[in-house]
Amino acid sequence: MFFILKRRNPIAKFYQWRRMTLPPRGDSSMSYLRIEKEDLHMNALLSKTARCIFTLVLVCVSARAPLAQTKATRIVNAANAFLSTLDQKQRQSVLFAYDDEKQRARWSNLPTTMVPRSGLTLRELNPAQRSAALALLSSVLSPKGFQKVQEIIEADELLKVDERSKAMFGKDLYYISILGTPSAKDPWMIQFGGHHLGLNVTIAGERGILTPTLTGAQPALYTINGKTIRPLGRESDKAIALLNALDESQQKQAVLSSRMADLVLGPGQDGKTIQPEGLKASAMTERQREMLLDVISEWAGIVQDSSATPRMAEIKADMKDTWFMWSGPTTVTPGSNITAYYRIQGPHLVIEYAPQQLGGNPALHVHTMYRDPTNDYGRRPAAK
Amino acid sequence: MKKRLAAAGAILLMIGTHADAHRLDEYLQATTISLEKNHIQLQVRLAPGVAVVSSVLATINLDANGIISTARQQAYAERVIEDLSLEIDGQRVPLRIVSMNFPEIQKLDEGVGEIQLDLEADVPKGSTNRKLTFENRHQSSIAAYLVNCLVPRDPNIRVTAQNRNYTQSIYQLDYVQVDGWSLLLPGVLFSKLWPWVGTAALLGVVGILLARRRIRNIWTFTPL
Repeated sequence: MFFILKRRNPIAKFYQWRRMTLPPRGDSSMSYLRIEKEDLHMNALLSKTARCIFTLVLVCVSARAPLAQTKATRIVNAANAFLSTLDQKQRQSVLFAYDDEKQRARWSNLPTTMVPRSGLTLRELNPAQRSAALALLSSVLSPKGFQKVQEIIEADELLKVDERSKAMFGKDLYYISILGTPSAKDPWMIQFGGHHLGLNVTIAGERGILTPTLTGAQPALYTINGKTIRPLGRESDKAIALLNALDESQQKQAVLSSRMADLVLGPGQDGKTIQPEGLKASAMTERQREMLLDVISEWAGIVQDSSATPRMAEIKADMKDTWFMWSGPTTVTPGSNITAYYRIQGPHLVIEYAPQQLGGNPALHVHTMYRDPTNDYGRRPAAK
Repeated sequence: MKKRLAAAGAILLMIGTHADAHRLDEYLQATTISLEKNHIQLQVRLAPGVAVVSSVLATINLDANGIISTARQQAYAERVIEDLSLEIDGQRVPLRIVSMNFPEIQKLDEGVGEIQLDLEADVPKGSTNRKLTFENRHQSSIAAYLVNCLVPRDPNIRVTAQNRNYTQSIYQLDYVQVDGWSLLLPGVLFSKLWPWVGTAALLGVVGILLARRRIRNIWTFTPL
């Protein structure tokens, strides 16, 4: 903070000095007496209102910078706290080189017994280690995002119906790994995933880049203690609301007549950009575009606000070049999930929502994919 | 084969009706098409579900020791190609194998293996507006088809329309392919206004010539 003030403006330094009654580190109070004279001269030039605005801006600037620093370092501290709970062997298992392409691509919708992951499972961690791992995860994710992850894991726990399925499903079979060295400056990555979950979060300074990330759920609707839970329910509800907000001619463009059997850009499909289809958001009303943004926020908002806000701003800037495509039934049973596939695609975005025609009711088994074709794994140079 | 069927049955039992973690009774066949100036690349990913893998393996015709030899892989890839057709502007173009990747037999048995075929075809010379038709008939009784086109990397190629039937076994793609120099007038070239723009330009040139002649005449007959 002091570094920023020193570089920017002597008046800002002076403000800090007055506020704290002490000169910033490395400066003498004499230099501030000189600045105070300049300040008096400035007072004569500025009106009272202008000074108020100026002060307000300074307060905002000086208040924001340490806050942002705290968010970046908070994640690093959580990562280091987690690593400090591990023994040498566990640390070797959980840590990977930042540029380990094989490990980056080691995520899937499938259970870990079918597609092996690397890192440490929650089962391998003692209660203190497990709680440190979850604290790290929660430092990266928004409260809503963390809840979504917990509900996905909880759903998987319900698949443990017998001894055989216990080996394949359940909350113990989720892996955590760290690529690179946790740093507030240099990029590094956290991977967390298992069946129906593949979170790949690249931390680059204050930004957390969530792409590519897979979320899914089976059962995608369940009840615990009398409470109905739909881990991906908002993704379903907001999308059908948007579809219903389109007029007949817009729906005609958005709804494709072909069946979409699965994700197109799921696991293993990194680096591909498919031709967009459906209805372009430039042909939507402002209200419909807001609704589309709201659907997108269900993925972009999985990470904490300081990462989600700039991401949403980027997506909003691209909005008129963003497409919305739908395939399948255009109605939904109240309280349930849609059984249709939809895709949202923009210059920096691909979202797919794909109900699975497996095991009976596709409303109960959903896979989704969230990508930025220009910045998966934080590859965009500006992000580093 | 009996051993394999038994294994598939055991896996199905293990997965159970409540835990269908992955595609079971379908043969997912996902094709991505990449358009380039002189050729087209196709990547075909073939993923048989655990309940149908035995019928897929039966067509692959494993060796006696239960492995998929290179010769068998080649034979299966050629069989898949026989079930595919690619037409450019109504003219059928042959597909050739660039590379292929087969998973371990155990992965296929478990229903998580994926065969990948990279294919290629030459693009015959034609007009600016091109029409591509791709059809996949491979194992249609158990197939779940997906076909998509990648955004062309070549700025001279632009996709204008995509159409599919319900099952995605038939895919039609309209695209525009222009020479490099045409990029100087992309809007004009792609527009249907081209004849009007041409006429306007011609009239403009005639107008300028007439105006110049008139000016010269005025200059010539200016009274001294």
